[in-house]
Amino acid sequence: MTQFAITVKDISKSFGKVNAVRDLSFEVEADTCYGFLGPNGAGKTTMMKMLYGKCTRGENGSINVLGYDPASDELAIKYLSGVVPQDNNLDDELDVISNLMVYSRFYALPRKAATSRIDYLLGFMELSDKRTARIRELSGGMQRRLIIARALMNNPKLLILDEPTTGLDPQVRHLIWDKLRQLKRHGTTILITTHYMEEAFALCDTILIMDKGAGMLRGSPAELLAKNVEKHVLEITGSHSLEAIADGAILQKLRIDRTQETTRVYCDDDQLLRSLTGRLEGAHYFLRQTNLEDVFLKATGRALNEKQ
Amino acid sequence: MKNSKPYPYPPLARRLFGVWFRHMRVYTKNIFSNGLPPFLEPLIFLAGVGLGLGKYITQSMEGLTYIEFLGTGLLMTAAMFTASFECTFGTFIRMEFEKVYDGMLAAPITANNLIIGEIIWAGTKGFFFSFAVLCVLTCFGIISLPRGLLAPFIGFFTGLMFSVMALLVTSFVRTINHFNFYFSGFISPMFFFSGVVFPISNLPAYIRPFAEIIPLTHSVRLTRAVCAGQYNMYLLLDMLYIIAFILVIGFFAVKRLKKRLVF
Repeated sequence: MTQFAITVKDISKSFGKVNAVRDLSFEVEADTCYGFLGPNGAGKTTMMKMLYGKCTRGENGSINVLGYDPASDELAIKYLSGVVPQDNNLDDELDVISNLMVYSRFYALPRKAATSRIDYLLGFMELSDKRTARIRELSGGMQRRLIIARALMNNPKLLILDEPTTGLDPQVRHLIWDKLRQLKRHGTTILITTHYMEEAFALCDTILIMDKGAGMLRGSPAELLAKNVEKHVLEITGSHSLEAIADGAILQKLRIDRTQETTRVYCDDDQLLRSLTGRLEGAHYFLRQTNLEDVFLKATGRALNEKQ
Repeated sequence: MKNSKPYPYPPLARRLFGVWFRHMRVYTKNIFSNGLPPFLEPLIFLAGVGLGLGKYITQSMEGLTYIEFLGTGLLMTAAMFTASFECTFGTFIRMEFEKVYDGMLAAPITANNLIIGEIIWAGTKGFFFSFAVLCVLTCFGIISLPRGLLAPFIGFFTGLMFSVMALLVTSFVRTINHFNFYFSGFISPMFFFSGVVFPISNLPAYIRPFAEIIPLTHSVRLTRAVCAGQYNMYLLLDMLYIIAFILVIGFFAVKRLKKRLVF
């Protein structure tokens, strides 16, 4: 039988007149990585905060995290989970080791156990030589790694990460991905939000694409691609009249997505797309396989919402 | 998933201690710049009075010399100011700018635990600041010791009173500048109308009831009684006031501030 680390049924949440989350349901299997993908304001963060009691939820629906309901057993969930919030919130006035020592008290870890755990975590996140550094001396990537180390303090069964790699360079990003994969292999369930398609593709077993508080599409990365978008796309830069190069019969086989400067022509048949390129004299074009970003834009639309 | 252990998280006392410990660590990190001013401030105050102002005030106040009268008052104003700053500017900065609370609330601590931990910490600072004043007063022979040792404990409760008041105000405040109204409209008048610098019996009759309403009056009266060793039954009313104030204002402060943390 599949075990679920998280079960969410029909959850809604509004702030005043804004519906942040609408009727959302999902299940996260234990020991897998589940990703929320969506534009800013899609309700990803709000949904995550409801899981560990940082946000209250609407009246209906139910949430179960690791066997507990956050409305009544917030503490148990927090004890068993680690949270990496969107904003860095380390204690600037303390150094690296003190930040972690203070945090270990919240879990009532005995001093000795805390010290060895902290040594291990600093090693794991490759921060051992920064033990006595002040927080302001750390780069953005180091601060992020330290926050992940802090979230791992109590050896969590569930790790919740809100945009863990936003604004970081590729090296740090890959290091963090590696660590998250290791954690998953050792039995940590991971819930992550991200804007980065390649991050979702690299880490997640299941992805939920959210928009305006609702779940739009869900499935494994491969499934999402196979079910929701054509296999290939021809991207043409500049204003080109497609009608000039393709007749009506061909146009019917294509899905066309136009922005001011770029035309994207989607089709399963790459030979057909390739034959079109022959007629694009002098235009810049790029023929490639579709990726999650294409699924994402198709699901959430191209127009910006008021929060982006 | 089912979990058999009913309470797999630290008990209440450990959670409150965790919050307190965080504040303690941050405060003691800069022990010199944080620890010295509480001793310097009363020193400067007493020097000013002793060297200058005191010469003009020869009348005894409630049976005390002026320097004794003022000194025992300062024991409490120190606790008042530190708790007020801690839970207005301090709390607001932790909540809105540094986002420290967001980090803490991801650990097994509820918003209530966090706020109550905050109040206990402000009480601790009240204790420490009263203690610092006591040290200075003792050095100058203004207070005789065994009796004065009780003053920091009253300082603790004064710290609690002003922290719950400050947290209640903080729960309403949207920009940090609004605290200026609280300090010039509430805390500063407290300094003059609660019997710190002159006895409230000297106030016009129509202002005296007002002096009885504000919290500092009761702390100051208790402290003077303790330091002079003159106890009477009315002091029970002061104690009752202090306890009731902490519980009632504290209840609303926690309730309102919680909504700023968990929404």
